[in-house]
Amino acid sequence: MRKFLAIFLVLALALTTMVGCGGGAEGENGGGNVSEEDVTTIGFLYIGPVTDGGYNQAQHQGTKAVEEHFGGKVKILYAENVSEEKQAVKTNAINMIDNGADIIIATSFGHMDGMEELAEEYQDKYFLHFSGYKMNDTNFGNYFGAMEEARYLSGIVAGMMTETNKLGYVAAYPYTEVLIGINSFYLGAKSVNPDVTMNVVYINSWGDAALEQSAAESLLAMGCDVLTQHADTSAAQLAAEDAGCYAVGYNMDNSKVAPGSFLTAPIWHHEAYLIPTIEKMIAGEYVPESYYGTMADGYLGLAPLTDLVPEEVKAKVEEVKAQILAGDFPIFVGPLNDNQGNEVVADGDALLTRDEIWSMEFILEGITAIE
Amino acid sequence: MEPVKAIEMKGISKAFGSVKANEDVNLTVYNGEVHALLGENGAGKSTLVNMLSGIYRPDSGTVSIYGEEVGFTSPKDSIAMGIGMIHQHFKLIDVMTAKENIILGKNQGLITRNKYISNEIKKVSDQYGLDIDLDKKVYNMSVGEKQTLEIIKVLYRGAKILILDEPTAVLTPQEIKKLFTIVRNMKEQGCAVVIITHKLNEVMEISDRVTVLRRGRSVGTVETSKVDTSTLIEMMVGKKVDLAIKKEKTADAKKLLLEVDNLHVKNSEQKYALEDISFKLYSGEILGVAGVAGSGQKEICETIAGLTKAEKGRIIFEGEDIIGKSPREIIRLGIRMGFIPEDRLGMGLVGSMDIVHNMILKDYHNQPGIFLRRGPSVKKATEIVDKLEIQTPSINYPVKKLSGGNIQKVLLGREIDSNPKVLITAYPVRGLDIGASYKIYDLLNEQKRKGVGVLFIGEDLDVLMDLCDRVMVFCIGKVAGIVNPDEVTKEDIGLLMTGGKGGALS
Amino acid sequence: MNIISISKREDLPQKKEWLIRALAVALSIVCAGLVIRILGYNPLQVIPSMVSGAVGTEIRLQQTILKAIPLVVTSLGILVAFKMKFWNIGGEGQIIMGALGASYVALNIEGLPKFATLILMMIAAMILGGFWAFIPAFFKAKMGVNETIFTLMLNYIAIKFVTYLQYGPWKSPDSQGFPKVATFSNNAILPKLFGIHIGWIIALVLVVLVHLFINHTKKGYEITVVGESQETARYAGMNISQIIIVATLISGGLCGLTGMIQASAVEKTLSATLSGGYGFTAIITAWFARLNAIAVLFVCIAFAILLQGGAYIQISMQIPASVADMIQGIILFFVLGSEFFLQYRVNINRKRLNAKEVA
Repeated sequence: MRKFLAIFLVLALALTTMVGCGGGAEGENGGGNVSEEDVTTIGFLYIGPVTDGGYNQAQHQGTKAVEEHFGGKVKILYAENVSEEKQAVKTNAINMIDNGADIIIATSFGHMDGMEELAEEYQDKYFLHFSGYKMNDTNFGNYFGAMEEARYLSGIVAGMMTETNKLGYVAAYPYTEVLIGINSFYLGAKSVNPDVTMNVVYINSWGDAALEQSAAESLLAMGCDVLTQHADTSAAQLAAEDAGCYAVGYNMDNSKVAPGSFLTAPIWHHEAYLIPTIEKMIAGEYVPESYYGTMADGYLGLAPLTDLVPEEVKAKVEEVKAQILAGDFPIFVGPLNDNQGNEVVADGDALLTRDEIWSMEFILEGITAIE
Repeated sequence: MEPVKAIEMKGISKAFGSVKANEDVNLTVYNGEVHALLGENGAGKSTLVNMLSGIYRPDSGTVSIYGEEVGFTSPKDSIAMGIGMIHQHFKLIDVMTAKENIILGKNQGLITRNKYISNEIKKVSDQYGLDIDLDKKVYNMSVGEKQTLEIIKVLYRGAKILILDEPTAVLTPQEIKKLFTIVRNMKEQGCAVVIITHKLNEVMEISDRVTVLRRGRSVGTVETSKVDTSTLIEMMVGKKVDLAIKKEKTADAKKLLLEVDNLHVKNSEQKYALEDISFKLYSGEILGVAGVAGSGQKEICETIAGLTKAEKGRIIFEGEDIIGKSPREIIRLGIRMGFIPEDRLGMGLVGSMDIVHNMILKDYHNQPGIFLRRGPSVKKATEIVDKLEIQTPSINYPVKKLSGGNIQKVLLGREIDSNPKVLITAYPVRGLDIGASYKIYDLLNEQKRKGVGVLFIGEDLDVLMDLCDRVMVFCIGKVAGIVNPDEVTKEDIGLLMTGGKGGALS
Repeated sequence: MNIISISKREDLPQKKEWLIRALAVALSIVCAGLVIRILGYNPLQVIPSMVSGAVGTEIRLQQTILKAIPLVVTSLGILVAFKMKFWNIGGEGQIIMGALGASYVALNIEGLPKFATLILMMIAAMILGGFWAFIPAFFKAKMGVNETIFTLMLNYIAIKFVTYLQYGPWKSPDSQGFPKVATFSNNAILPKLFGIHIGWIIALVLVVLVHLFINHTKKGYEITVVGESQETARYAGMNISQIIIVATLISGGLCGLTGMIQASAVEKTLSATLSGGYGFTAIITAWFARLNAIAVLFVCIAFAILLQGGAYIQISMQIPASVADMIQGIILFFVLGSEFFLQYRVNINRKRLNAKEVA
């Protein structure tokens, strides 16, 4: 019994010490019990950690830009590692609302259904969802972007810089969003290099450094000398660097991570949409929409071309970019055949609307998918 | 001249949790003597010597070796002081040769000087009259040879004090004789030998002095020549015990209950574990089975009980061939057979369950419906606890927490309760103290009186000869002979056990 | 030199057992508090906030219960297998397969009344979850194949298979190209009672049923005997293969039922992420409950409080997810660690310690 008593005493001592140290922090406030009237609380849900050097970090950069823009007028809450299990989505959002959140923004596709239900349950809050398609008429909208524009531009860089005329693409899943990226990148390359071909390896995961690396290595072994990826990490760029090849990234400007291979990357500027939208929400003027941003909006862009990229390539990119920004540069212009030889876009035709583009189920002639 | 004190242990105490394994134990062993450490199971013998070999450390008390106080923290320290321990279960590596085993773990330089080492080993073994083939692999050795190898191993490491933990448990009478010769040789060379045992006749035969332990305490040390066995038993048990096993002759005409005919059984390695076994078991008799461990005792029990498939042959129970039938089918046929397996908690009982739930292990499936009824088994458990005087806090107490003797009583009680005609018992007194053992013998004799045919697998030849009406001797899966214990000697049986080769098994 | 030695404890008095547990909880809070302090947060806010975040308001309590439901049902499933010493670590896969079965019914069978649809979904879920456990059970029973790795591997197969369905054949045509299985119709969604889907009633009923099954039925008795010693079961004439298979069917079936509950009441569709790690967490809870069905209920609620509290402070205090996980980990470490002290005693050899000091 004496032993127990001793341990209890030690515990008590430790607790008192903590109280002593704790005093200083007392002033800070946890939670939403203090909500000044003109401060709007915004909650962000991320699928991974904000330090992942890829998808989530890019999202969080947008969040930080929002915070900076509004200064003290908004308070940001965020939750990392919010899995796509609906209960996890709802719990985190509800905990945010519990802490005074007025706007919830979820950033992974699988968060969609949870957001839909929450919008129903909390009609006095706003909900925004990135990369999905669901919305309602009152308080739930979504946003996404025509990434094919930026992909096309990055494809030009790759097409001009390949020497083997073989590009490599590390892709997540063979599904529409990814296929759009693959095809637009390839069309960009082909526009400047008619002989170019491309190999695609699917890793069947949205982000897995080991899988991305091994996929990249197998592409390099096939003779591909410029790689790009539609997956979350920088593994492909690092693999290319090791092999003395080039890489086009995604989501993030990785010129410091892989200085030897990184050329550019198509990237998102989430703040370009979020800042005006949140302004509308604060004013109570938001009308739910399904926003599909473009380069012209400033929502999408290309990371600055690094010094590895020759001037002539830079000039070509600038030239096409100007056309895209002018708004009269469709990416998917016929005639296009898929890699089975079927005509998918007829001569004189083009995929123009979001719906047309988002029913894409093919990969183009000249691209080989390796499952 | 005062003889040299090889070992002096004073006031040794050692507790495991709340169990006091040793309490204030004193032991003094001189050079040039064979000292027996006698006590029942659980008396604390193994704990005591494990403190000598550095496996445990005493909670209090002092250990001195050759007059020097020591505090062993590992077996290494103990070996360095010249103590060699031969465990009950040999610590040898099967796939290595004798020589490799001997030099294993002994620090050597980079180069193994083969010839030199062989000579060194030879020197040591000659000195004590030991004989071994250094290049023989351990898996080819008989139990006796393995033991010899263990002894050479410790002697080669410079042991002057030898501790043998139950060395005769697994040996045939011939092998025991050989061992005792070795022990006497060592004694003459001035070594100190400690033998742990619970067999009194061996104590009388080999030892110079005896220290008796009872319930963790040392009762006393006596000179063997000045005591008789009944004194020693009284010291061990703490009271006078009538030692004689009564062999009762049943007068009634004996009825054939079980006939085993030309039985062949293969083990899991597809080798014959039993070959051409034929015998008959009559009502009102105890048929003993003797044999070196692993000669097919387990297989014969399990085959009769329907647990092991026979290759060929017949097992006829009251006129009906039960071969190929499952235990449940055998029970359904109305064949009443009790089986006390060797591994009580691992096979006969469910250790974590209480007595009540263990009572229904073999007949729960006869209950109607899907639910388990406790009622009948509560009654049965209460009766058995009463009748067999089982020491337990309650009938709802997990059986694995009972003592060995009480566990065996639960098992035996359940089997007897089903009114068997045939009772198969495998090593029913293994691990039990003397009192409990005699209680079990009484119960078996009582069954015999009631006309039950008892098959008794035993290991102590003295008990087999005292208790059984006939003794069947197994040798490597075959029946070497069925003898009347009144007409043969222990040595005769030992010879049969080893196929007449007297010692080594081939 | 062995200054510390460890020995097995004999039975501890109940009171002392609880004292050790309470001590472990207290110690874990202090330790977590210190870590929080070192990381620059105020433990006097974080820890109370964790508790109030889990049970402080009705809505928080609801979140906690919603986490406890799948945990209880899965733990019961795991318990049945573990009782037999069948190490089913394939709960995740069985949950997913159960959800798959339920989803098949929900998406393909129309025109039945709601009640019938739900029952059919449950049956389908239990069959598929059971089947997923049956595969390793069959190989274990007939060929002695180790079930640990087998069940673990089947998790990945199940997850990948559902992912394939989600991206391929089962992709909803209404999802505008996104990889998503169609949402269930209202007929296939578990109703709510007191603001929480009726999974909580299912869980409570199952706690009682599993308790009765293990302790008061012949099959439960057989499972316990097989778990204790297969030799004993053989001796008693039990059909071991059959018992292994029945028990794992029940185990997998219960895990499958979790899948149905999650698919129907929470996700309202099929997704490869709906198992949410419950299949693994349930191993801890079942074990901590010492394979006792009634205890499972309380352990799972406590665990859900820890999960919800951790999620809550992550947001209310804006603590990084990793720190919240660390706090949970510390608490878990101490509480599970206390089980060690319940079974073993650590002795410190003072004599030797002193001797050393002198030297």
